[in-house]
Amino acid sequence: MRGRKAQVPVERLRVDPVACDGIGICAHLAPQLVTVDSWGFPIVPAEPVDRRSRRQAAAAVAACPRRALFLEPARGAWPASS
Amino acid sequence: MTHRPTQRDERWLHAVTAQETAGTGALVAGTEPWPGIDPWPGLLDAPVVFGLRSRARPSGVEPDDLDRHLSRYGPRPVATGLHGESLLDRLQQVALTGRGGGHFPVAVKWRTALAAGGGGTVVANGAEGEPASAKDAALLQLRPHLVLDGLALAAETLGARDAVVWLHEGDHATHQAVSRALAERRSASDLGLVVRIAEGPDHYLSGESSAVVRALSGGPALPYLARRPAAVHGVGGRPTLLHNADTLARVALVARFGLDADTGGALVTVVGPSRRVVLGLPAGETFARLLARTGVVGGVPQAVLVGGYGGSWLPWSQVAAVQVCEAGLRPLGASLGAGVVAPLPAGACGLAETANLVAFLAASSARQCGPCMFGLPAVADLVGRLAAGRAGRADLKALRRYAGEVAGRGACHHPDGAVRLVSSALRVFEADVRRHLSDGPCAGASGPALLPVPEVG
Repeated sequence: MRGRKAQVPVERLRVDPVACDGIGICAHLAPQLVTVDSWGFPIVPAEPVDRRSRRQAAAAVAACPRRALFLEPARGAWPASS
Repeated sequence: MTHRPTQRDERWLHAVTAQETAGTGALVAGTEPWPGIDPWPGLLDAPVVFGLRSRARPSGVEPDDLDRHLSRYGPRPVATGLHGESLLDRLQQVALTGRGGGHFPVAVKWRTALAAGGGGTVVANGAEGEPASAKDAALLQLRPHLVLDGLALAAETLGARDAVVWLHEGDHATHQAVSRALAERRSASDLGLVVRIAEGPDHYLSGESSAVVRALSGGPALPYLARRPAAVHGVGGRPTLLHNADTLARVALVARFGLDADTGGALVTVVGPSRRVVLGLPAGETFARLLARTGVVGGVPQAVLVGGYGGSWLPWSQVAAVQVCEAGLRPLGASLGAGVVAPLPAGACGLAETANLVAFLAASSARQCGPCMFGLPAVADLVGRLAAGRAGRADLKALRRYAGEVAGRGACHHPDGAVRLVSSALRVFEADVRRHLSDGPCAGASGPALLPVPEVG
C-alpha cells in the first residue's frame, strides 16, 4: 500500500565482538548510532537503523578496519513471502 | 517386567527408596508402551554421588551394557515406534527443550535443520561447561546407550552421516564409558550408525555450542558469532544438530514411550560442601523436598543458586515451595539452566561466594570479545572488594554500570551469565551489601569459599 518504500529491507547494526578491537572509527563516523563502553568497545542500538541514519551506518560499516561492523536484516522485517 | 533396582544398583543407592526415585510417568493418550517395559523407567534410578571436582564416577558404579540397556528400556523403535516425522511431531507435542541450559525447543531445531536441506552432522555434547554440573557425565557414564539412541534418532531424522560425541579431553571416565558402548553397538549388527568421539580442551567454554561447531569444522574450540544458527549452517557449513546428553536421552525415551518430556522431571546436580549429587526428579518435586532428599546441607539454607555459576541466586523463602522446573522458575525471573542447584547455608556469605564465582568466570573468558575480556575482570574486582568490605558507594555504582555494559555483548552468553549471577547477588543479598559497605565484611566472608571452582590455567 505504501508503494516502493515498503520493499526496502529494515536493517540493524551489529558488531562481531570477536573481530572488533575497539578501534572506535565507527563511533566517530556514526555518532548518532554508536556509543562506546567503559573500555572503548562499540555499543550499537538494538532497534533497526532509521532512514535518516542509514548513510551514517553504511559509512561506519565500510570504514571498520576489522570488518567487525555489519548490517543485518532486523528480525521480522522481511516480507513473509514474495 | 517392571524395572526394579538390582543389587548392583543398590550399591550406589544413596539412602533413597526406589519408589521415590523411579519417577511417576503417565502415558500420553494414544501411545502404547513397549510391551513388557515399565512406562517410565526414568533417566537414573538412584542419585549418583560425585566428588566436588572430579567427574569420574563413584567406584562400583558400572555403565549399562547393551544387554542391560535393552532389558531396561526395550529395543529402540525403528519400524513400529516413533520415528522420523512421527517422532518430530511428538517432540513438538511434548515441548521437549534443550537441557544444556538454553531450553530451546528441540522440534524447532530439527525442523530448521530439515528445512535447510538436512544431512550434515549430529553432536551429543558431553563437555559440560558448567563446572558444578555432573549430570551429563552421570548419564554418559551410566546410560551411554540411551544417549547414543537419541543421537541415532537425530541422525536418522536429519539424514546425517556424521555423528559425534563431544567430550572434554580430561574426562577419561566418560570417554571410557562411551567408547565401550560404541564398541558394543558396532558388534551388534542392527545399530549401524558410525559415531566418533571428538574432544576439546578442559576449558569452561569448549563445550559452548558455537565453540563445538568451530572445533569440529577444523578451528579452535572457542565461541564465535554465528550469523546463522548451527541447524542451518553448522559443522563444515552443513546443517548441524547439537544437543546436550540429557536432551538426547529424553529424545530416546520420548521415541520409545511417547511420554510427556516433563513427566520424568528434571535431572539436576545438587552441590554440597563436600560432594555433588546427581539425581532425576519426579515431576512436581519442590526445592524443599529436593534438598531434604539429598541432605547435602544441614538446616535451612538462606538462598539457592539455580541454573549454574552463571545462574541466579534466589532467597530460600521464595524458592522452597517452588517446583524444580522451568515453568516453576520462570515467574521468579530464573531458569533451571543446566540443572545446577547450589544451596547456601545460613551463616555463609553470599557476596563472598559470588566474588569467588565471578572471579572464576572472568578468568574463564575466551578473551576474544572486548566487553568480556575487560569487563568481567572489572566486575570481578569490584565484587571482590565488596565482599572484603573494601568498597564504597561509588564502587557499587560502578559495578552496576559495568554489569549493564557487559550484558549481551559477547559472541556467546558467557558474560551474560556472569552479570546474571552478580545482579541476582546484589538483589538477594541486599542487606549484606549495605552491611559490607557500612561495617566491613561479615563473619561468613572470611572463611574459604564453599562452592568449588576449577583451577584456571
